[in-house]
Amino acid sequence: MNELGTIVGQIIITMLSAILVENLVLSRFLGMCPFLGVTQKTSTAAGMGVAVAAVLMIVAALAWIVNVTLLVPNNLEFLQTMSYILIIAAVVQFLETVLRKFIPPLYKALGIYLPLITTNCAVLGIPLINTQRGYDFGMTLVYTLGAGLGFAMALVLFSGVRERMAKSDIPASLQGVSGALFAATLVSMSFFGFQGLFAK
Amino acid sequence: MSTQAEVPFTFVLPKEKAPKPKAIVIAGLVKENPTLKMVLGCCPTLAVTTAAPNGLGLGLATALVLTMSNFVISLLRNVIPDKVRIPSYIVIIAGFVTIIMYVLKAYFPALDKSLGIYIPLIVANCILLARAEMFASKFGPFSSALDGLAMGIGFTIALFSIATVREILGNGTWFGIPMTPHFFSPAVLLILPPGGFLAFGIVMVIMNYLTRGKVGGDVACATCNPENSHCAPDSILGGKA
Amino acid sequence: MNNIFLHFAIPALILGGLGLVLGLILAYSAKAFAVKVDERIKFVRSVLPGANCGACGQAGCEAFAEAAVEGKVKPSGCPVGGESVAKNVAAILGVELGDSVSTVARVACGGTIAVSRLKYSYDGIKSCAAAGALHNGPKACAFGCLGFGDCVSACPFDAIVIENGVARIVEEKCRSCEACVAACPKKLISMVPRGKNFVVACKSTQKGPATKKACDVGCIGCSKCVKVCPHDAITVVNNLARIDPALCQNCGECVKVCPTDAIHEIGGVLRVESKAV
Repeated sequence: MNELGTIVGQIIITMLSAILVENLVLSRFLGMCPFLGVTQKTSTAAGMGVAVAAVLMIVAALAWIVNVTLLVPNNLEFLQTMSYILIIAAVVQFLETVLRKFIPPLYKALGIYLPLITTNCAVLGIPLINTQRGYDFGMTLVYTLGAGLGFAMALVLFSGVRERMAKSDIPASLQGVSGALFAATLVSMSFFGFQGLFAK
Repeated sequence: MSTQAEVPFTFVLPKEKAPKPKAIVIAGLVKENPTLKMVLGCCPTLAVTTAAPNGLGLGLATALVLTMSNFVISLLRNVIPDKVRIPSYIVIIAGFVTIIMYVLKAYFPALDKSLGIYIPLIVANCILLARAEMFASKFGPFSSALDGLAMGIGFTIALFSIATVREILGNGTWFGIPMTPHFFSPAVLLILPPGGFLAFGIVMVIMNYLTRGKVGGDVACATCNPENSHCAPDSILGGKA
Repeated sequence: MNNIFLHFAIPALILGGLGLVLGLILAYSAKAFAVKVDERIKFVRSVLPGANCGACGQAGCEAFAEAAVEGKVKPSGCPVGGESVAKNVAAILGVELGDSVSTVARVACGGTIAVSRLKYSYDGIKSCAAAGALHNGPKACAFGCLGFGDCVSACPFDAIVIENGVARIVEEKCRSCEACVAACPKKLISMVPRGKNFVVACKSTQKGPATKKACDVGCIGCSKCVKVCPHDAITVVNNLARIDPALCQNCGECVKVCPTDAIHEIGGVLRVESKAV
């Protein structure tokens, strides 16, 4: 019973820290390109966030399996980067094919964002972090779920800020990416308040 | 009803000539500086510029990878089928990043420790795929290598400048050497994540003002924003329009 | 010797094997989950401008290509591409271009700052949708144009300008994409066939005295224009006159008799510019 409590506690802590304390975008700067690129409208931001979260789960699971079964037993850690990126490219393409066949409306909504996920720092970063921290399979899934949710949430929040900014009077030099970065500073600062939430 | 044979015309992109070396260098360093003008590769720009040596180190590592990958991709540009274009480029880039990763681990362990996962994350840096697609896939190996080098150096200059400002104002040091008078309290915020956004934002405002117009957006490649690209592929395996 | 060979062979084999397996899975999935795509879509897509601007009403050029092949949109549906693209698309699909009546957007409000009254002073988000949410906006007339330019932002061709607090369409630049029609929260913009130059620039269905109180140039529903029109093109419904573009012959008789100057001639000069004291 005590063991179960510790495990559940660990899961909650890992997830919450992935979402709040070390938010993928706002604290670790992974996934900046879509953060600045697709957050002009909330609909596109939500689409991208959900797509990335879904791909992250699949990629992290597969990467863990490949790492533990193929790479580590054969002392091939140096192949990690290449294998992970291969997996990412393959998963994204596979997902695109499957979506196109079975859920066409979803494909139409997300379609244009799927190819962009391949070069997303976050999608390559999470398997690398999982490997670095030596998580087991369960923890990998928990952490990745948290990271994906945090990413989607950050994107949607920020798109709301940007939509509101677009309707205000802003000097020409501050329009577009530059103004967005100032807004991002404040959003990041607010998340910074979560540091130290969990005593390490 | 209408078959391929009946289409009355074909759509062919005109063959472009490679730019002159001087133009390539100026484009990479100034006119199309990847960080400042094209807003590519934002992840390392924000993450790694907390200290000047980090910025310099990652910039140079990226420049090396960019040069080598552009060279090889350009050599293989007619061999790689259009449908698997992007995955192939990425794998080539990943190969070179792995090499650089281990070189850094061996010869610059301190740098490797402070850069952490941002070294393998060079693979996901938009700049490399963007240059591969926009330059290396069209032009010869030596122009491509020069373009890679120029873009890489431009990237390094941008990173190094931002890192210098952030370190001096945020930590009072430069390369670890104390630079500011003792009564100057460094603004630690600049070294923290929000400071990254702030520093980059200020840089972008200055760039916007200097160019009197929109920075990025229009030129940022499909890898960053599909709505604003000239070369958006319709799918990762899609050919060029 | 054996060791060195294995040292290189194993990583190559494993990575190569991984790539091979993934590649095979992808190839299989491409075949097994293949969606039959009409060949023509690719060709139509290749002749489109590729700006993905959405002016055609579809979600990008790829979506337009699909809709065109399925017959859901006319080949001339791409305003940005214009005639040349329309001809190419029609040629690929093997259809006739057909007679497409060119339309243009018109704003049905003439209530400039000078001639209309405000009911409150507004200081908030500069958006018609936002201002309009507060008791139909700061203008005394609940139907009038608020002039914050939601339509201007929506127009991809810079064909709308705000003059004296009212939106005006620059007809030469209008490409009939109808983005402004959707953007106006007051539904003041409608599409009218090009070449019909007379429009009732008012949408107020209030009775005459109330309309006059809110704005000097509103339509009071007096029906003088109805009586004078030689082509029976005008009807008055709910205190508001409406010119039927199909019947209108551009004779201009209605403009002469309208007591409030609510009827505008596009391209002409307003008879009285300002009634403000």
